[in-house]
Amino acid sequence: MNTVRMATTVPEYLDQLRAALAGADPAMIQDAQYDAEEYLRSELAAQPGRSEAEVIASVAGSYGAPEEVAEIYRDTEVTVNRALRPPLAPKRNSVLGQFFGVIVDPRTYGALFYMLLSLATGIVYFTVVTTGVSLSLGLMILIIGIPLLVLFLGLVRVLSLLEGRIVEVLLGERMPRRPLYTQQGKGWLERIKEMFTDGRTWTAMLYFLLMMPLGILYFTIAVTGLATSLSLMAAPIAVWTGLADVQMTQNEFNVLAITGPGTDLTTSLGMWSLPVALVGGFLLFFVTLHVAKGIGKLHGLLAKHLLVRNPVV
Amino acid sequence: MTEPDLHLKKFQKELSAGTVSLGLLAVLAQADEPMYGYLIAKQLERVGEGVLSGKQSALYPVLRNLESAGLLGSFVEPSMSGPPRRYYRITEAGRHTLRDWAAAWRATRDSVDSVLKGISP
Repeated sequence: MNTVRMATTVPEYLDQLRAALAGADPAMIQDAQYDAEEYLRSELAAQPGRSEAEVIASVAGSYGAPEEVAEIYRDTEVTVNRALRPPLAPKRNSVLGQFFGVIVDPRTYGALFYMLLSLATGIVYFTVVTTGVSLSLGLMILIIGIPLLVLFLGLVRVLSLLEGRIVEVLLGERMPRRPLYTQQGKGWLERIKEMFTDGRTWTAMLYFLLMMPLGILYFTIAVTGLATSLSLMAAPIAVWTGLADVQMTQNEFNVLAITGPGTDLTTSLGMWSLPVALVGGFLLFFVTLHVAKGIGKLHGLLAKHLLVRNPVV
Repeated sequence: MTEPDLHLKKFQKELSAGTVSLGLLAVLAQADEPMYGYLIAKQLERVGEGVLSGKQSALYPVLRNLESAGLLGSFVEPSMSGPPRRYYRITEAGRHTLRDWAAAWRATRDSVDSVLKGISP
């Protein structure tokens, strides 16, 4: 069929599978490898008498040769994407439709929620990474720093899988669903060494550090955008329905504020500017939604590049 | 690969699209305890003829899909022989769906059989 020789060990089979899937979505490659390894290891355990090479040769018939498996996963990925993706907002051709259509796009709200959530997750990630680094480096003089560092690197991997789930659900970027579990045959020393030499461990750490400033930025953008646009819309309505007093500037300019005891609403806006505020707030609201959607898309790409290990060695 | 072979392969692929999901649900509905991918694959292999005996790697993505559709539940447990295993069991919604699918399958099978009746094998 091709020039690749038959795999004789599980890592070799997984390597060939990885090669056959080259160019596909890294998250899918990770899932495919995880599934294949589960099957191969179970098959090996079920047939204790036979050698690894024999078992793998027989598996080509039942589970599939690496190229066949790759083809199956490529196929399914297309179907899954079609089936699971939330219905795409209908494509609008007019400029107006594109501008206002953002309100019915489920991705917008996922991104908006992610922006609000990222303040909390950003703080947690940042704390974990700085604590982990300083604790294990500080204790490195004592021998205890080394196991701490290894544990910490493991924790970083778990966190990247978790963040991946959040990113996929809220931002719609495909992320791995299974940990990259490779080379069971290697000794634990070698596996620990791999943790250090694998670039993704370090880029994941960078991502978690970045999440702190980014989280603050996202949160601020989302809250400012929503608060400004919503209050600009609410102020005129409140005035026209008699809930708020108009042109009440004391010390500062307020679009809409609760002043004094009780719940007296006031606005610094003049009567003439109320319709302008209503229209402006309405437009600003949609601009905020567009910004949220754009940030969601960009952040999904950032997460994918820094968190997902590229299995093509 | 010859022309008839290609046609057969394409036909099998189309047939398997829905029937594999049905087969997986049925296996898990009859299982006494949660099963992981390899066990399910072997179970289907034992009874499987036709499209159900196809390449077993195709089962894993389908299992994942059924899970995300809420028809299966799953949990992970470490294993001695390899990576942690994901165990699947059928949910109440899954059983409900299985009943509907089984009825649809039987109706289809009967009508296809009756159409094929006059044809010599």
